[in-house]
Amino acid sequence: MTRLAKAPPPHLALLAVAAVVAGIAGCAGERPRPLVALNGQLAGEESSREPALAGRWLALISTREGRDRVQLVDVERNAQLPLPGLNRPDAQVLNLSVDAAGERLALVRQLDGRTELVLYQRSQGSLRLLPINPAGVPRRVQLRADGRQLAVEVSRAGLWQIDLLDLP
Amino acid sequence: MAARSASLPGLTALLLALLLSGCGLGLGRRAPGVGLGGGNRLDPALSGDGRLLASVLEREGQGRVILQQQPGGGLRPLRLRRRQPHSSPSLSWNGRYLAVLVQEGPQRRAVIEDRLRGRVVRLQLPPGSQPERLSLSSDGSRLAVQLLRNGRRRVEVFDLSGLLERDLPPARAVLGGGAGQP
Repeated sequence: MTRLAKAPPPHLALLAVAAVVAGIAGCAGERPRPLVALNGQLAGEESSREPALAGRWLALISTREGRDRVQLVDVERNAQLPLPGLNRPDAQVLNLSVDAAGERLALVRQLDGRTELVLYQRSQGSLRLLPINPAGVPRRVQLRADGRQLAVEVSRAGLWQIDLLDLP
Repeated sequence: MAARSASLPGLTALLLALLLSGCGLGLGRRAPGVGLGGGNRLDPALSGDGRLLASVLEREGQGRVILQQQPGGGLRPLRLRRRQPHSSPSLSWNGRYLAVLVQEGPQRRAVIEDRLRGRVVRLQLPPGSQPERLSLSSDGSRLAVQLLRNGRRRVEVFDLSGLLERDLPPARAVLGGGAGQP
């Protein structure tokens, strides 16, 4: 006499399937929602790189017709802001950062064969060189949200170090 | 002699101007070390309030993200220890969230450590693309990612508001409204 295996109740089977699906989804990770309009606008560039978000501002380097330029975008209005006096054809920007007010941008750029750290103030359209002491070659930079401190990755004697600069 | 005395005030003014302009150019200092042994320190990231500094400590070719208090340099614990090399750390306002790139087999993966809840959120980015750089907005509501897809670099921005609570600066005091006030 054979004994028939008892099938699990249908609600338990459904629960098991749901648990497996949830497990697989968890392994794959959470899916963040893309900002479609902004991403579509950025996709119009040949390429874009070195993103820096702070507050509602996104600073980045984009390439159009073979030329690099720094862009500042208001993410909430999906609008680009003018940066008078910042982009120049003979300079190559390597890395950048923006403060939460969208007022200060710190940049590492190459100009005349030198790699330099500069601070740009948008309301004034002014650019000033920030000295690195002791001397070193900067590569990456990050501004604190209030724009009053700067962390810089600097190469000295074959070693990468981090400098903190207080800004007035 | 007369010419020499006339040039002195000019020279003094020039030196004073140089001194003052030097004062306005920022005061630098080295980030605190992390004990004996040294190694390269890469990818600095300050929290919005400036109290934490994340960076990648590179030793023997492996990069590991570390978190230090500012000032002082005391190390803060992180759940993210394995899946090295780590790169491109980014902190929210109070340092509750640390976004970083980790290695999972042949893939780079963007993850966010929630230091308050003690959990790590793994992000699923568009298929066929490799994340190269990250930047987390200070309130933790958005993440900008530099992606490499078909040999082309492209920045994309993602909304995290459905995944993370905001990490906002401490509330500011509300003025007025005290006893006897309207």
